[in-house]
Parts: sequence; C-alpha cells; structure tokens
Amino acid sequence: MAERITDTELAERLGLIESMIAEGRRTTEHWSWTFVLWGVAYLVAIAWSAWGPSPVFAWPVTMVAASIATALLMSRDREKTPETTLGRALGSIWIALAVTMFVVFAALGFSGRIGDVHVFVSIACGLLGLANAASSMMLRWKVQFAAAVGWWTASVLGCFGSANQSLVVFVAAVFLCQIVFGIYGMMCEARERKQRGTVHA
Amino acid sequence: MPELPELNPVIHGKLRLALLSLLAGVEEAEFTWLRGKTGSTDGNLGAQLLKLEEAGYVAMEKRFVMRKPQTVYRITEVGRQALTEYVQALKQLLGAAIES
Repeated sequence: MAERITDTELAERLGLIESMIAEGRRTTEHWSWTFVLWGVAYLVAIAWSAWGPSPVFAWPVTMVAASIATALLMSRDREKTPETTLGRALGSIWIALAVTMFVVFAALGFSGRIGDVHVFVSIACGLLGLANAASSMMLRWKVQFAAAVGWWTASVLGCFGSANQSLVVFVAAVFLCQIVFGIYGMMCEARERKQRGTVHA
Repeated sequence: MPELPELNPVIHGKLRLALLSLLAGVEEAEFTWLRGKTGSTDGNLGAQLLKLEEAGYVAMEKRFVMRKPQTVYRITEVGRQALTEYVQALKQLLGAAIES
C-alpha cells in the first residue's frame, strides 16, 4: 500500500490531521459575542443608573437580564458544539467570575458600602483583568492578554481622580477591552469560517 | 534498507481520517457537528462512522436532549492509539522519502 502513495498525499494526510484536530479545539473559542453582549450590558447599566428611573435597580436588573440572555443563547449554541476540556475550563473561569462579581457587589450593595465609585470600578476592572488574563494564557491569545492589561490599567486608574473621572475610565475600558475586543474576536471567527474547507471520502 | 510501515487502511480513507482527527480534539461530538465540519452527506458520513465503530475506533451513543434525538460520537482509547500509530507511520514514510 505504501508504495502506491505519493509524498504529496502523505503530507496532505498529515495536514488534514492537524487542521481537523485544531478545528475541534477552535470551536470552543466561539464566545466572542458574549464579550459584546456584556459590554453593551455594562454601558446600559451605567446609563440607566445615571439618567434612568429607579437607578437602584439598574445594575441588578441589567446583569440578571444579560445572564439570562447569555444562558439562552449558549444553550442553543451548545447543541452545535462538541464538549472539550478546554471549553469547560474556559467556561468555568467566566462562570466563577460572574458568581464572584454577583456575590461581592451584592454584599457591598446590601451593606451600604458600595457608595464609593472608585471601589466599584477598581474591583470590577481587576476581576475582569484576572479572567481575561487566565483565558488568554489558556488560549495563548495575545490580543486577549492585551485586553487583560487594559482592565488592570483601568483598575489602577479608577482609584484616582474624581468619581466622574473614575466612571469615564470604566466606560473607556468597557468599550475598548470588552466591545472592541469582542468585535475583533467575532471578525477572527468569521474569517476562520470562510477558510474552512470540506472533506470527502 | 529499513522496512517501510504499513498504513492502517481503516484510518487511511480521507473522510475517516478527518473524522478520527476531529474526534481526537474533542471529548464528544454530535453527528450534525461532524457533518458540518466535514461537509459530507448524511449517508456517506454514517457509513464511514460505522466502519470506524466496527473497528472499535469510535463509540456511538444515542440519547434525547430536550426530547430531541441526538447521536453522539467519541474516540475510544483504541482509536486514539491507532491514530497515533498512523501519524508515526506517515512521518516514517515521509522521512524515508526524504532520505531516499
């Protein structure tokens, strides 16, 4: 059998194996839309709490609505994707982040100790930096690590200046590290989908 | 001259090789996902998966998710070992071709 196969065919087989294994892994990375969704949710919550009615409900309502939307969209998406260890590890980071933020900010809110905007901005940005950094190290994705550095920078800058300046830092970080990064990720995914070929027997 | 390795005929088929490689990168995958990744027809895909299953390289499970039937495939240890050996044989053949 070996005699009948050309070197090109052998190399082609090796290439096929590599691309297919990578394809399976890449599927779990199709999460960029969640970054855009959550970025928009943060901005909606900030705008509502500043100018909307009953500002006390702005963050809880927006965050719960964003969580439900994410869960619904992910459950639909999960039917089309395989389960991988990497996917589960990445998912666990974001679930842990969501639970941590919910528990910490709810506790701070109910105890009446969240009055200082600087504290909120610094903790939120720091936690988002942590999650993005962990994810970027797993995926070896430099752009996401840049987003993590952006969050950490915002976490430091958010401690200084007036409350309004701290909020501006948060909005800028949400726009750059969440929305722009999410759109970039979606563009990468679209480009990968275009490059995908078909395999026949 | 060293003896050249034989390539496993069950894995060597292009679609079967693609399927086994895809399953090597995931824990389990649905029939529809495999169809989407390979661009194959239902009939051809089913036939090739059956050959892999008969060889003991993949395991199939039928289940219901939200009342919808779902056919899930996963690579077995035997399948993973066979794919590893196939890759080693390919590399050996390519190495032999380069040396000659």
